Amino acid sequence: MNSFLKHLLLAEGFAVTTFGLGWWSVPVVAALWGMASADRFRARNAAFCAAVGWATLLLIDAARGPVAVMASQLAGVMHLPVSVLYLATLIFPAILAWSAAALVPSLTRYRRKAVITDPG
Amino acid sequence: MIRRVIAAIVLAASLWSGFRSSGPLPPLGPLLDPANGAWAGAAALNFPARQAATIPGLDAIVNVSIDDRGVPHIFASNETDAYRALGFLVARDRLFQMETQTRAAAGTLTEWAGSRVLGADRESRSIGLVWGAEKKLASYDTASPGYRSFLAYAEGVNAWIAQMRPRDLPVEYRLLNARPQEWKPIHSLYFLSRMSLTLGLNDASMKRFRAQGLVGTAAADALFPVNSTIQEPIQPNGSGSPRYDFTELPPPGLPQKSATAILGARAELYALIEKGMRTESGDALGSNNWAVSPSRSATGHAILAGDPHLDLTLPSVWYEMHIVVPGKLDVAGVGFPGVPGVVIGFNRDVAWTFTNTGSDISDFYTETVNDTISPARYMLDGKWRNVERRIEIYRNPDGDAIATDTLYFTHRGPLRKLAGRWLSMRWAAYEKSHEPDNFMALGYTRNVSQWLDAMRDYVAPAQNGLVADRAGNIAIRSTGKYPLRPGDGRGDVVRDGSTSASDWIGALPVERYPFSMNPAQGFLASANQQPVDPAQNPSYMGSDWVSPWRAMRINSLLRSTTKVTPDDMRRFQTDPGSARADAFVPLFLAAAARSDSAGRPDSVLRVAARLLGAWDRRYVRESRHAALFEAAMYELPRRTWDELIEGDDTTARAAFQMPEGQMLLQLSESPRSVWWDDRRTRARETRDDVLIASLKAGYEKLVKEKGAPGSDGWLWSRNRHANIHHLLRMPAFSSMKIPVQGGPSTLSPSGGSGSQGASWRMVVHLGPEIRAWAVYPGGQSGAPASPRYRDRLSRWATGALEPVLFPKDTAALDPKRIISRLVLTPGKSR
Repeated sequence: MNSFLKHLLLAEGFAVTTFGLGWWSVPVVAALWGMASADRFRARNAAFCAAVGWATLLLIDAARGPVAVMASQLAGVMHLPVSVLYLATLIFPAILAWSAAALVPSLTRYRRKAVITDPG
Repeated sequence: MIRRVIAAIVLAASLWSGFRSSGPLPPLGPLLDPANGAWAGAAALNFPARQAATIPGLDAIVNVSIDDRGVPHIFASNETDAYRALGFLVARDRLFQMETQTRAAAGTLTEWAGSRVLGADRESRSIGLVWGAEKKLASYDTASPGYRSFLAYAEGVNAWIAQMRPRDLPVEYRLLNARPQEWKPIHSLYFLSRMSLTLGLNDASMKRFRAQGLVGTAAADALFPVNSTIQEPIQPNGSGSPRYDFTELPPPGLPQKSATAILGARAELYALIEKGMRTESGDALGSNNWAVSPSRSATGHAILAGDPHLDLTLPSVWYEMHIVVPGKLDVAGVGFPGVPGVVIGFNRDVAWTFTNTGSDISDFYTETVNDTISPARYMLDGKWRNVERRIEIYRNPDGDAIATDTLYFTHRGPLRKLAGRWLSMRWAAYEKSHEPDNFMALGYTRNVSQWLDAMRDYVAPAQNGLVADRAGNIAIRSTGKYPLRPGDGRGDVVRDGSTSASDWIGALPVERYPFSMNPAQGFLASANQQPVDPAQNPSYMGSDWVSPWRAMRINSLLRSTTKVTPDDMRRFQTDPGSARADAFVPLFLAAAARSDSAGRPDSVLRVAARLLGAWDRRYVRESRHAALFEAAMYELPRRTWDELIEGDDTTARAAFQMPEGQMLLQLSESPRSVWWDDRRTRARETRDDVLIASLKAGYEKLVKEKGAPGSDGWLWSRNRHANIHHLLRMPAFSSMKIPVQGGPSTLSPSGGSGSQGASWRMVVHLGPEIRAWAVYPGGQSGAPASPRYRDRLSRWATGALEPVLFPKDTAALDPKRIISRLVLTPGKSR
């Protein structure tokens, strides 16, 4: 499977699991991806795909309802520029995905290594 | 290794911020989630063209059509199903509002916002709102239509909560990190208790007592009289014009010591409830209604208009609906989110609306208790009686107790220690009653007589109920429980609680309520003025009545025409004319002219008088003179009633303590009265001195703050606005600084804060087919991002009304006007 298709599926995976399970599925999917992928940039790519997945969902929302109005109101309530709110919506899943994809595989490798070197 | 540590920290931090709120920020996960969070909530705001849902307990299918104004037309096979459907629909549109209002009344806002709202919660509970609502629910006949409607409504609300998708959660819940609570019938009663507090605790005696403590009893009685000194009553007295019962005011006397002591107690109590009380600044919780008989109507049919004034909020205090149960009920209008049924509206034969009577239905009693710290008993007729105690626990969002209060109750009501005395309060709103049954019964009435019967045993808050029918009848009655007191019968005194002889001895019979039906003048009108001329009915119903400026204006407009159209009625609702300005502008101008002709030329006074004289006394948005009049009127009472000002207190609170505006007009007939003298100066001022000083001071203040005369800063639209706050007062969800037509004491009053006003405007033409037009400041949806959140606001601000759709069945609804159809089917109980 070529790389583009693989990452497209990952982005879609983030979107579908967020839709079905909720926002907390992002680090779970990223962790699984991190374990399964041998890609050197898997954490960075997971972050990018998570942001794309949520951006897709956001675009779907925008096509169905007054997202821009909601954004300006929420930004007003939180005393933030609207752009910060949009950015936060993309950065939040990216951070979750990056950290999970970076942490979990290294933990499992560390554990595997510990088991191999343990003489008992 | 470092990368691993960084990743672990970042993951932990982002999961933390996703799940938990940090400072003012809510949990980010459920907020930002584009599939189930706030963004998706925006996508869920547009109703699909066709929808289906289930409600457990429904007897049959209920069809609902939502029109392009967002109004649901509910077609059900029985009333219980109709109220289940209504609960479902109102919850879908206004769930957060329903719960907020309920929590405010029940004193449980701390469970959302913690200790910063503890004061508000304590206020609600200590005044007895929760105790009163529970008592009322317990006294309900469980077979009554009202009780059954509460249950059905709750089932509908809970059905919506149960099947709500995560994306349907109102955004405010996300920001508060809260979840909706289960709806119970008591919640409807909590809301009604809160409304009673807003409208039904009109004990004006605090001002009178305060004045007694400053200027003595005779002067206080004259400044805060039991009867309005301008008589333009609701029940027409046949005079055809206002009657001025002006007499010379007695001079200020020596302070009455006992009143000063009592004042301390009452001031503490009223500091708690002052928010809900009217002020002379024009920010009135007043209302208007009027109706014309066929003889005065251009169409030959009765026409009715109503505009209740309440706190203006987003979402609106009202929810518009149309309920049809074929062969039984066909009623449209507005009701309160959280309470089943139409309160103000019309059916196929009758239309009705209300204004607040403002009667005195509460009393205070000094109690003798066995323990001045924590009383267990109180003395009555020489015997100790047990005090009822309630422990009130206030909890924070985590469920931890943050405060505990012990509340005390006598047989009269809440018992509170105020300024060292134990005072109990009896309030008609806490008496056994079933107002929801009264309101619900109105929808079934076929003529004015039936309507009056249905309201016969209504208790509180007392309302001036105006009704008209298709037969051409019009009637008005000030309906509510008016307590009969022993002795002189007055309610504006604190009574001795140690004897049952102080207790109420009954209630005014309905036959003696202020009432009129089909009067010879051909119209009826009310605007919170004293309902009946004391010369015709001397029964004590209250005191210190609101100055009847609005009543005078609407009566004047109605007297001036015999061919009233529905559009005239609409125009009257935002009429910019002012009886108050008509009364006071000539006084200012005459004083200035006398000063000039007496050889005391004053260039500032001349300019101010010229500008004021050029005013047409209409509070239109383009006026550049109304602001000058209001600046002068701000000064006038503060310069006149200096005897009632303690220290240098010239705040709005000081104005609240002053006599009604009509007393200034009364005083103006005594140009050399000692009341005109400003005790803070060495000179002896007269009426003209004070009028001139007020006009000049107002002018100079205006120039200083707004620029030269004629500049845009003088525009009325720059000076007074409607400010419609969201329930949480979040600016982004509010609509502020809306220019409106009207000023203090005009029919559509625009006062200082702009946060009160016409909460609903309605005109109903009772011809062969009922036709109605209406608007309220907001929209049907409670979701701030919804296109239906404030879609009516611009029309409301310009005084326009929208035609109300009133189809007899689903087929009669123009398909082009329907935005969504919802089929509600019986579902399984959980």
